[in-house]
Amino acid sequence: MLTKIASGDIIDPVNGRLGKGDLWIKDDKIVPAPAGGAADRIIEASGCIVMAGAIDIHSHIGGGNVNTARLLLPEQHAAHQVRPATTPLSNAGWSTFQTGCLYAKMGFTTVVEPAMSPGAALHTHLELADIPIIDKATLAILGNDDFLLSMIRDDAPRTMIEDYVAWTVASTRALGVKVINAGAAAAFKENVRTFSLDDVVPSYGVSSRKIVKTLQAAVDSLGLPHPLHVHCNNLGSPGSADTAAATIAAADGLPLHLAHLQFYGYGTEGKRGFSSAAARLAELVNATPEVTIDIGQVMFGQTVTVSSDVMRQFSARGSAHPKKTVIHDGDGNGGGIVPYSYGKDFYGTMQWAIGLELFLLIDDPWRVFFTTDHPNGAPFTAYPALFELLMSREARTEMTAGLSSSALALSTLAAIDREYTFEEIAIMTRAAPAKLLGLTDRGHLGAGATADIAIYRRDRSIAKMLGRAAYVFKDGDLVVQDGEIIHYRWGKALRLKPPVDKAMVRRLEDYHQQRYGLSLDWFNFPDSAIAREQPFGEVPCRT
Amino acid sequence: MAVAWIGNREALIEHAAAHAASLLSSSRCPVFSFDTDIDGTRAAIALAERAGAAYDHADGAALARETALFTDKGAMTVAPGETRRRADVVVIVGELPRIHHGLVGELAGTVPDLSTGNQREFFVVGPNGMSVPPLNGGRKATQLSCGQSSLAATLAALRAQYKGQRTSQPVSNFNDFAKALAAAHFPVFLFSGHAAEGLALEMLQGLIADLNRKSRASGLHLPANENGWGSTLASAWMTGFPLRTGFARGFPEFDPWRCDVARMIAAGEADLHLRISATTAQPKEKKRRIALIALTKTQEPVAGAAVTIAIGEAGVDHDAVVYSSRTGSLRSIDAQAASQLPSAATIIRLIATHAFAEAPPC
Repeated sequence: MLTKIASGDIIDPVNGRLGKGDLWIKDDKIVPAPAGGAADRIIEASGCIVMAGAIDIHSHIGGGNVNTARLLLPEQHAAHQVRPATTPLSNAGWSTFQTGCLYAKMGFTTVVEPAMSPGAALHTHLELADIPIIDKATLAILGNDDFLLSMIRDDAPRTMIEDYVAWTVASTRALGVKVINAGAAAAFKENVRTFSLDDVVPSYGVSSRKIVKTLQAAVDSLGLPHPLHVHCNNLGSPGSADTAAATIAAADGLPLHLAHLQFYGYGTEGKRGFSSAAARLAELVNATPEVTIDIGQVMFGQTVTVSSDVMRQFSARGSAHPKKTVIHDGDGNGGGIVPYSYGKDFYGTMQWAIGLELFLLIDDPWRVFFTTDHPNGAPFTAYPALFELLMSREARTEMTAGLSSSALALSTLAAIDREYTFEEIAIMTRAAPAKLLGLTDRGHLGAGATADIAIYRRDRSIAKMLGRAAYVFKDGDLVVQDGEIIHYRWGKALRLKPPVDKAMVRRLEDYHQQRYGLSLDWFNFPDSAIAREQPFGEVPCRT
Repeated sequence: MAVAWIGNREALIEHAAAHAASLLSSSRCPVFSFDTDIDGTRAAIALAERAGAAYDHADGAALARETALFTDKGAMTVAPGETRRRADVVVIVGELPRIHHGLVGELAGTVPDLSTGNQREFFVVGPNGMSVPPLNGGRKATQLSCGQSSLAATLAALRAQYKGQRTSQPVSNFNDFAKALAAAHFPVFLFSGHAAEGLALEMLQGLIADLNRKSRASGLHLPANENGWGSTLASAWMTGFPLRTGFARGFPEFDPWRCDVARMIAAGEADLHLRISATTAQPKEKKRRIALIALTKTQEPVAGAAVTIAIGEAGVDHDAVVYSSRTGSLRSIDAQAASQLPSAATIIRLIATHAFAEAPPC
């Protein structure tokens, strides 16, 4: 089918296309305007902006910890609006089905679950397979697992470590590697309660820095497109900006992605010992071109924090609201589920302001990514409101009216005039994520790109405009019209497939037999286990 | 070989599925109970949504206790692999389902390689005379009991004594336990809702929380039913809720009392029961007041069932994904003796296509 999207305001920074024009789709691809121009279907887009489908690089949408959070908080479903029953299971509360529908309605077409425990890869992919419409991907967690820590301790050859990383990525069908508070979960099992970049995991004698640097080098050497995705030490602690600064410095010329930097933007100044270090961190990011970051913006209200940083989550149990938590010591990281309500008090206001400061003070939209670390800073359903805050100084000023003045006095937010443009939004939420993840087929509107397209009708309210797309195409299928799902389909999980070394497989088979009394077969699975046609899409490694 | 029946009469699968669909469509209060793999669960929940049915595990009471621990209180838990490699003290809390006895025996036959002591000590909490899984190598578990007091009462006494408080009845062998805890690096408590009441599970978590104030400890959840826990996980991601959820009002509502399918049947609230289990014995009620659609591994119609359709057993007749308490996650298993018998998911989807114009999402 040939589709013409007519007379829209096209925003495609990758191809330098900015302004009114037509866009053509043939089946699932964007194509040049055909000679003759006889379209089977015409979408009238005058008065609309046309962008590639948005990509979320860090949103906890599926897997063991997310599902445990669902189990822990059935009462939170009352907070979800009952949805019209036009789409199967779309009215289910915090479910896989609703996740796909809500993302699609906002014009998002690809979302990355950034924390997959390798041992729960099958569970994670089964959940992702039940998220409709959008494509998904996952990052496999390494850095607290005995096999890797033992290799680092024993000075294993670099190639052996790379083989292990490659096997993990390939067998778990991941799109990259994440390290979460490197070494801390292992140390926590030995009753260590705080852990910083140069602290050492007791039984291994390996520092957190060493783990991060080892994985960073392996990811780079293997040609995995996405740099090592780092959840730093000391998340949420006053003074954690020092840890983030040290980690940024440790990038040392190789690509490194720091997740949810807002949660490390904390200084120790003021009578409460809690202040904004956003300006300092923004300056460091601006000066370190090999580093990319996402924000993890806090928005006010009830949410639940879901993290494989089990040490941090254990220490946060006292702040749980409501008062119930799950703390799990896993084979590697494990995780913790702590419900939390961000109030408009001093601390909540400070966190909110720090996130916005980072967004607005980091100059390059190619290196700062739009996230709330869903659901940790806020549910992803807060995205429209967050877009408005970034694109409107007036909206920020209005918002500050009900917030803690003492917190805002310690922030530079009020002095920042910057307003994101649509072009910058298109970079931050489309072009840059595609580049960061190695997804050359999306994030732009050039000929040959996958026809993932979001069309928004202009409105004075940015939140309304970007929260309810006029049209969304996924792989050329029109899936959303006037903010509602009109076509239900299944996306794929995007994965890398690096070559696997047979000697490493034998080594891992022996390891699992000896240490767990189980064959490696217990952890492997065929694609057919997902019970969907073509559940995976392969992304090439760098050559 | 017949594989489908309408009443006691042999039928083609298509006809039996169509009849089941017509019963389902005309039902005012359908209920589903199942004991099946992940794909079967996905299909059953998708059908339940269309039919407005409530669903539960076929033997849901123990699972409901375990679920309530998570929905109401939360927990500290540990992976089974980490238990094997790190637990230097293992505490068996109450009677465990027989399916987990192999794991307990395995723990007794190995030492924790990630613990400096490289040795493991066993305790068992519960009333005198309770069944204890056999431990390999002739090892014995030290009993911690308050005579014939309940498990919850014994755990409460244990927790109180650990905190230095007085109890009306002391726990037997407490000093041995306290000594072992003092030397332990990572004690693990094995628990299940199989024989433990909700209060006992909650009290155990209180004890684990107390221990974690100064040192480490955790609990290994050994589900009362592995298929049931797998279904709980799938239900959570599909609807946001665990089992005992219903779609009577068009959207999912979790209510562990109202959607207790056994209760709904006993109380006469349900008018149709879709029971899906290749292995669990089918109920035999002589004065059945509700229509029964039975999907089970059988060579003959289920007595009293309006429709019976034979299905294969997950992991025996067909490949499957199931929950494994040995890994603490979902696992893919190959068919041990592949047969032509259809999977539960296949038949449920067939019924769905007959009952509803638009196919369910799973």
